[in-house]
Amino acid sequence: MTLYGYAGKILRLDMTNRKAIAIETEPYRRWGGGHGMGAALFWDFCKDKTITDGRHPANVCCVMTSPLCGTIVPSAGGRCEVVGVGVGQYPVSWFTRTNFGGRFSTMLKYAGWDGIVIEGKADSPVWVEIRDGQVIFHDSRDLWGKDTWATQLEIRDLIKIRRGTKTHWQDLQALPLGESNESSGENFGRTTQKPAILCIGRAGENQTCHACLIHDAGNGAGQGGLGAVWGSKNLKAISVLGTGGIKVHDPKALLRARMITKEKYVTSWETPDFGAWTRIGGLPKPIVQVAPPTSERRPQSCQACINGCRSRYNVGYGNESACQETSWYGAFVRKVAKTSAEDTEINLKSADIVQKYGLNSFVFQTGLHWLEHLYEEGALGPGRPIPSDLPWESIGTLDFAEKIVHALSTRTDIGADLADGWVQAALKWGREEDLHTGALQFSYWGVPEHGYDPRAELEWGYGSLMGDRDTNTHCFNYIFTVVSAAFAFGKPLRIQAEELVNLHARKLSPYAKDRPEVLDYSDANMYSEAVAQIVRWQQHYCRFYKNSALYCDLKWPDFINTNLPDLEGATASPDAGEQVFWNAVTGDALKFEDGIEIGRRIWNLDNAIWVLQGRHRDMVYFAPYIYETKYKKGELFPFYMWPCRDNEGNWQYTDLMGRSMDKDKFDEWKTIFYRLEGWDIKTGWPKRSTLEKMDMGFVADALAAAGRLGEEAS
Amino acid sequence: MNEDKTESLGKITRRQFLLGSGAIGATVFLPGKLLAIPNTIPDSKGFLVVDLKKCQGCGTCMMACALAHSGEASYSLSRIQIQQDSFTDWPDDVSMAICRQCRDAPCVAVCPVRPIRANKANPGHGNVRMIDPALCIGCKMCLTRCPYAPSRIQWNPDLEKSQKCDLCVDTPYLEEKGGPGGMQACVKVCPVNAISYTTKMPDQGSDESYNVNLRGRAWSKLGMTTK
Repeated sequence: MTLYGYAGKILRLDMTNRKAIAIETEPYRRWGGGHGMGAALFWDFCKDKTITDGRHPANVCCVMTSPLCGTIVPSAGGRCEVVGVGVGQYPVSWFTRTNFGGRFSTMLKYAGWDGIVIEGKADSPVWVEIRDGQVIFHDSRDLWGKDTWATQLEIRDLIKIRRGTKTHWQDLQALPLGESNESSGENFGRTTQKPAILCIGRAGENQTCHACLIHDAGNGAGQGGLGAVWGSKNLKAISVLGTGGIKVHDPKALLRARMITKEKYVTSWETPDFGAWTRIGGLPKPIVQVAPPTSERRPQSCQACINGCRSRYNVGYGNESACQETSWYGAFVRKVAKTSAEDTEINLKSADIVQKYGLNSFVFQTGLHWLEHLYEEGALGPGRPIPSDLPWESIGTLDFAEKIVHALSTRTDIGADLADGWVQAALKWGREEDLHTGALQFSYWGVPEHGYDPRAELEWGYGSLMGDRDTNTHCFNYIFTVVSAAFAFGKPLRIQAEELVNLHARKLSPYAKDRPEVLDYSDANMYSEAVAQIVRWQQHYCRFYKNSALYCDLKWPDFINTNLPDLEGATASPDAGEQVFWNAVTGDALKFEDGIEIGRRIWNLDNAIWVLQGRHRDMVYFAPYIYETKYKKGELFPFYMWPCRDNEGNWQYTDLMGRSMDKDKFDEWKTIFYRLEGWDIKTGWPKRSTLEKMDMGFVADALAAAGRLGEEAS
Repeated sequence: MNEDKTESLGKITRRQFLLGSGAIGATVFLPGKLLAIPNTIPDSKGFLVVDLKKCQGCGTCMMACALAHSGEASYSLSRIQIQQDSFTDWPDDVSMAICRQCRDAPCVAVCPVRPIRANKANPGHGNVRMIDPALCIGCKMCLTRCPYAPSRIQWNPDLEKSQKCDLCVDTPYLEEKGGPGGMQACVKVCPVNAISYTTKMPDQGSDESYNVNLRGRAWSKLGMTTK
C-alpha cells in the first residue's frame, strides 16, 4: 500500500558499529511525522529513558521529516525536526526538540528516507553520506576542527560535486565511494542539486550546551544543545543527495490549495499592503534586525516557503542569517559603531561567526548582558573572582565577538564553565543572587528568556515551563508585535482588541472555540482556566501542526488576515487550511481538530518521557526573579501591549509592563492545567485512564513499571 | 519567424534517411554526421523567461512542475531546474534553467524516431517542443544534444524515457488548462513572480535573453534593487 507523502523507510544509524539499518515507516504513521514520529522512535530505541544528559551514549537523536516535506505545502515543505535528550539545561536536561529549515528534509525524502535515528557512539569522528538508498560512513578526522561552512564545502569536494550553479546533471552512480565501501548496485538517479549537509562546528565538537546543527549557510537547529549530542557521538556531518520523489495522494488538490494561498491569502504584488496583519500573507521580507547592508540582494527561503525571511547579499557576509542571530550582539555594537553601515557590518559578520562555529547565539540574548554586568561589577575579568582574559573593554567590536564565541565553543576562558550550562555556571561562580534579581534572565529550565517575558506573555512562559525548553512558538506572540509596533510608531490599529480576540476564538477549536476570554491576559485572568486552555491549545497545535507536520512557526497559524475583507486567516479554512494540505498529500480525512488531538497524544508521550527522566510537579517553577521582581524593561518596546478586559468587561489593548507573578497563584494554575490534561494534580504524571483513551496503554505500562504513573483518584 | 512547415530532411529522403541509419520502419540511433542535417521547425508561440536576481530559491516551481506532470514531488523530475549555492553571493548564488523552446531546437532535430519524431513541435499547442512518451525510445540523444548546462531535457528513470518542458500542455494533475494560452504551473506558484510566460520569442542569439527583469515597485519597496 502506498504511504502517500512518506518515503516509506526510516534510517537507523548505529554509530557504535557503523552500520545502517532501514526500518519501515508504517508502524510510526500514527504519530504523523517530525516530532511525533521522533518521540515514538526515541521511545522504542532509547534503552535508558532516565538519562538527563544528552551526551550519554544511550541517548538517541532523531532527525525527522514530515509527509509535507519535499512538497509545495506553503511554508511547510522545508522544515526538519530534531529530538533527543538535550544538554546544559537546569536542573535537568529534558527530552527536547529543535527545528531547522532549508533543503535537508526535502533532500532526505527524495533520497527515500522519512528520518534518521542516530544511536550509540562512534569510536572516532565520522561523517555519513546518504546517496539515495546507499549509506556510507566516512572517516571525518580531517574535518574535525573545521567550521560548519568549510565542512560543507569540503564534503562537496570529497564527493566530487561540481562547483557553481550552472552545472550539468550529475549521475549519482558516478560519484566516488568511500574507502571501504562498494556500490550497492542500486540504480541511482540524476540531479543538478548540491547535497544537503547538516553538520556541527567547534561548539558541537566540544560538546558545549550551546551547540547547534547547521545546514547550508544559515539554517540552525539551535535550542537544546543537540549539536553537543552529535559531538558526543563523534558525528561531524550527514550529507544527503536524493534523486527520487514523493507520491502525493491528490496532486490536483495540493496544487489548487497552494495557488489559493498565493492568490487569496497573500497580499497583492500589484497593490501590496506592507502593513498587513497576517502570518502567511506577507511578501518576502528578511527578518534582519539591522538595516540591510545593501539593496543588492534577494529574499532567500526554505523549500516551498511562500515568503522568504532571509537574504543573500552581494557584500560577502550575512547570507541566510535572520532574526536572533542578526541581533545577538546588537545592543553592544550600538555602543561602538560610528555609522549605521558599520553597525550592520559588525552585526552580520557576528552572525556569520556563530553560524560557522555552530553556536546557538540565543544564550547571548540575555546572557551577554549578565556577563557585562559581572565585568562592570568587578566580578569578572583578568585577575578577578571569575577569571577571564577576554578583552571586555572592547565589547561591541567584531574582535570581541570572535573571541567570546571562540571561548564558548572551545571550552576556554569562561567557556570552560558555561559549556555545561549557564545556570550551573552561575551557581558555581556563587552568583545565585542573580537568579533572584534578574541580572541573569534565564527564566525556565536554565535557558534564556526570549524577549517575551512570562510575566506579560503568558502562553509563551507557561507553555515553556509546562514543556521542556523555551517554547519558541509564535502562534499568538505576533499580537504583541503588531499591536506594540502600532503604538510605538503611530501606525493605525488594523483590528481593535475585541474583534481581534473574537476572530482568534473562532479558530481555537476544540478547547477554546468561541471563548475569547482565553486571550485576556489581564491581572484578573492570568491564572485562570481560560489561560490554561490557550496554553493547552498552543502546545497541542504545535506538537502536531508545527513540530510534526512541520508548518513553519513564523508563518502559521494564520488566525487573522487583513488581506481578506472578512479578516479570516488561512488557518483551519476549508480552502487552504493546515488540514487541507495534510489531506491532499496523505489521503487522510483529517479535520482540523483531529490534528490537535494527535498533538495532544504526542504531548502526552513527551510528558511521559520527562516523567521517566524524573519530572515532578514540584520541579516546575520559574526562575526566582519572575516571582520576586517586576517586569520593567522590554526587549523591543518600552511597553507590552496585549488584549485585556477591563473591570467592566470591555476589551482594549493594555500595557502589561510592570507586572510580577504570584508564585502561589501560579502553583494553583498548575493544578488547573494538570486537571485539564488528565494528569495527576499532585505529581503532574499522566494517568492510565488518560493514556489508554489515546491508545497509549504501553506508555502507562512503562510508567507503572517505573513507579511513576499518576494516581487515578487525584 | 518560421511558420508551420512540413518537416524537411534536405536532400535526403525520409526513406534514404531511414535506410542510412540502418533501420527500416523502426526507431534508430543516428550516426554522428546526420546530426547536422538541416532542420526547420516551426517557432514556438510561447516561452518562459526568468529573473535570476529575484528568485528566492524555494524550489516550489520544481516541485509543482513535477506534481503537475507526474503526480509526485521531485527535483529530478522537474522540467525547470533551479540551482543554488548557499556559499555564493547574490546574484551568482542562483541559476534558473528553463527550456528555451529554441527556434532550431537541437533536441528536436536529433530525435531519431521515425516516421513521427518523439520530440517535435506540437502544432496543436503552439508548436511547443514536446516529447511524446509513447514514442520516445529512451536513447537519450536529445538529452545530450541540448547545448545548455544543465541539459533542459530530463531523464525519467521510472519510464526510462526523456522528458522536457511542454509549457504544461500535458499535465494530468493540473486542474486548469496548461500550455500556450493556458497556465504554467511554475509561473502560477512562484511566490515572488520570478518566472513569466511570454509569446514574444527572446533573442535566439543571446544566452541572456531569457533572463529578464521582473522586479517592480513592490520589489523596490521591499528594499531590493530593481536594476
